[in-house]
Amino acid sequence: MHKKMAFSFPDEVLEHVFSFIQSDKDRNSVSLVCKSWYEIERWCRRKVFVGNCYAVSPRMVIKRFPEFRSIELKGKPHFADFNLVPDGWGGYVFPWIVEMAGAVPWLEEIKLKRMVVTDESLELIAKSFKNFKVLILSSCEGFSTDGLAAIAASCKNLKELDLRDCEVDDLSGHWLSHFPDTYTSLVALNISCLGSDEVSLSALERLVGRCTSLKTLRLNRAVPLDKVANILRRAPQLVEFGTGTYAAELRPDVYSDFAGAFSSCKELKSLSGFWDVVPDYLPAIYPVCSKLTSLNLSYATIQSPELIKLVSHCPNLQRLLVLDYIEDSGLEALASSCKDLQELRVFPSDPFGVEPNVSLTEQGLVAVSSGCPKLQSVLYFCRRMSNEALVTVAKNCPNFTRFRLCIIEPRTADYLTLEPLDVGFGAIVQYCKDLQRLSLSGLLTDRVFEYIGTYAKKLEMLSVAFAGDSDLGLHHVLSGCESLRKLEIRDCPFGDKALLANAAKLETMRSLWMSSCAVSFGACKLLAQKMPRLNVEVIDERGPPDSRPESCSVDKLYIYRTVAGSRFDMPPFVWTMEDDPSLQLS
Amino acid sequence: MELRLGLALPTPNIIKGFDLDNHKPKETGGLGAWNKPSKRSFEQAFGNFKEECKAKTLLLWSGQPNEEEDHKDQTKTTFSTIDENDAEEVDQVMGWPPIKTWRKKIFRQQHRVGRTEYNRVADEENGGSVYVKVKMEGVAITRKIDIRLYHSYQTLTNSLITIFTKDRKCADDDHTRYTLTYQDKEGDWLIAGDIPWQSFIKNVQRLEIVKKWG
Repeated sequence: MHKKMAFSFPDEVLEHVFSFIQSDKDRNSVSLVCKSWYEIERWCRRKVFVGNCYAVSPRMVIKRFPEFRSIELKGKPHFADFNLVPDGWGGYVFPWIVEMAGAVPWLEEIKLKRMVVTDESLELIAKSFKNFKVLILSSCEGFSTDGLAAIAASCKNLKELDLRDCEVDDLSGHWLSHFPDTYTSLVALNISCLGSDEVSLSALERLVGRCTSLKTLRLNRAVPLDKVANILRRAPQLVEFGTGTYAAELRPDVYSDFAGAFSSCKELKSLSGFWDVVPDYLPAIYPVCSKLTSLNLSYATIQSPELIKLVSHCPNLQRLLVLDYIEDSGLEALASSCKDLQELRVFPSDPFGVEPNVSLTEQGLVAVSSGCPKLQSVLYFCRRMSNEALVTVAKNCPNFTRFRLCIIEPRTADYLTLEPLDVGFGAIVQYCKDLQRLSLSGLLTDRVFEYIGTYAKKLEMLSVAFAGDSDLGLHHVLSGCESLRKLEIRDCPFGDKALLANAAKLETMRSLWMSSCAVSFGACKLLAQKMPRLNVEVIDERGPPDSRPESCSVDKLYIYRTVAGSRFDMPPFVWTMEDDPSLQLS
Repeated sequence: MELRLGLALPTPNIIKGFDLDNHKPKETGGLGAWNKPSKRSFEQAFGNFKEECKAKTLLLWSGQPNEEEDHKDQTKTTFSTIDENDAEEVDQVMGWPPIKTWRKKIFRQQHRVGRTEYNRVADEENGGSVYVKVKMEGVAITRKIDIRLYHSYQTLTNSLITIFTKDRKCADDDHTRYTLTYQDKEGDWLIAGDIPWQSFIKNVQRLEIVKKWG
């Protein structure tokens, strides 16, 4: 075939054009245009995103994109956050680091989510990448402060070290001292997850003092309030700050020291931390509130009146995370003060209590939906809901992109009519045409899934629990939701029929999780046979699935598409289906 | 693949997959084969399973394995024995509500520090809601109602009849008689209607609708 093209730009020009295209989706589209575009694109892709670390092997990634500088990897399924994935399941980053250490020496950024990161991995990173700049570990585990010490000691160009929501073995607070005295390039440091033991305060103060470009600093709970003033005074340029414990003796000198340091930070836009809040210390932050766009009070056990006072000082707030102590009255205040609000997350203060301990109901959500026209993203824990409220919210907020509602008691009906909440959620998917993420709760029948399959055409992620009546529910979702990438289901009566009928759909998705449902082992085997590019993994701690009849339900099922075949690191309680009935036990 | 439309199968607490006839934990080659060190003790999980198996034999059900019906008597499915970290929440459903582990730790700490418990009396004075669980014999779903919405036994029972008519299996119809019972603050189960309404709403912890005997 002739290579005669209408437009024959030199590669460099195309490469330059491509450099303006950052999003993965667009880059992927670019690479599909023709072979030469594929080639040019793959050599100049600098950021690689791998949504499921088992979907592809490190070697494949490196082979296709030899020159990447940044990699983002995600490991465990989302439900691992709620203890549904047993320890040892997988998600190890080490094999990736090993491959990249040899082949991608100029790697600058590593972002990991829900992966197991060992000290060995961290040490290898520290040793292998001379220009390493950014390490973001989100919900990761498996490492200790020793690994952090290695990073601190060797990564001379480190700009960002962010350990959000990680589980770290806190062996010694002295890892901070491993940053050499000559090191000054830190821009962001998030150690909020570190345990209750020592972070060497003096090392921290010195570090903060010499890193004049520091913009983000999130401390851990162990840093006492009276020490925060010293730190803040050394970093008046901070834009994002997370306090440690927000409790101290009520002494005027301590207070004025602290308040004074705070008011010297003129650039602050985001605050977090606030463990153990002593309410009398709250006014110290009032001076900076008018500029705040993001406030995370989700650890603050302050009551509604104080919360109301606080939010009414923050007219520019765009993002608020808070406990349900805010109550309906606080949310009403929020709705009238914070017209720029885009994201709201309300967490339960007493999730395991049988009776409600605060007056937070669907009314609060309705109030915010009505008063905040830019609201796009909601995570709301409450104890009662009505279809009427959900319909109102849907009509008020057609721009929702993320709506996650958790009614604490499973299968709770509409408290007014005692009917299922199908109609309410149906309204959400019908009115919010750009909805990308949805979490359901309450009493729900197959009908809600019919609505979802009909209307939720842009939905990418759906979380379902204790809902539905039959396979029809699952069938509606799999056959109707065109943009669906991730589906996670627990405790629903969904079984073999819908899964097998929609087998092909699973290859268009990143993953499907089903636990405590009604999928039989036989169906898993059949699915795996039919769909060689899916990994069908059965997680069952009761013993080998073939020691029970094939019609027996599996405990947990995780299905994901992959071009890398079966993984090699499965623990004893994870089984995949091979062509013959004998299962691998390793 | 044909999918049957319409019939809503009442399968709330579905299939934990325990098939008693075939769940004989393999003593040989069982635990031995799974010696891989894993942080959260696979043996422990398997050990718990054996315990559960023993408990389950008391709830014998005669159906074929995996039939998708009549699980309403298999009521004790809300448990969480596997996760040793959540030892305090044995009565909770595993992984529910969906809150990240580290957040849960903070709640536990806060509660231990002696935060005031939900104060029933104070809430009543402020006109707050008082939620009470209502269970009907033969129905798997436990409902919750706000007792403050009612002002007499009559309104309460009328409402409960409406609620549960939908849940009852059609077999048991109007010929079956039911009695409303409640659990009081002392933990005793009594027949509702004996004490004045105002005292009742202050005392009631839970409600249960049971079939009349005789």
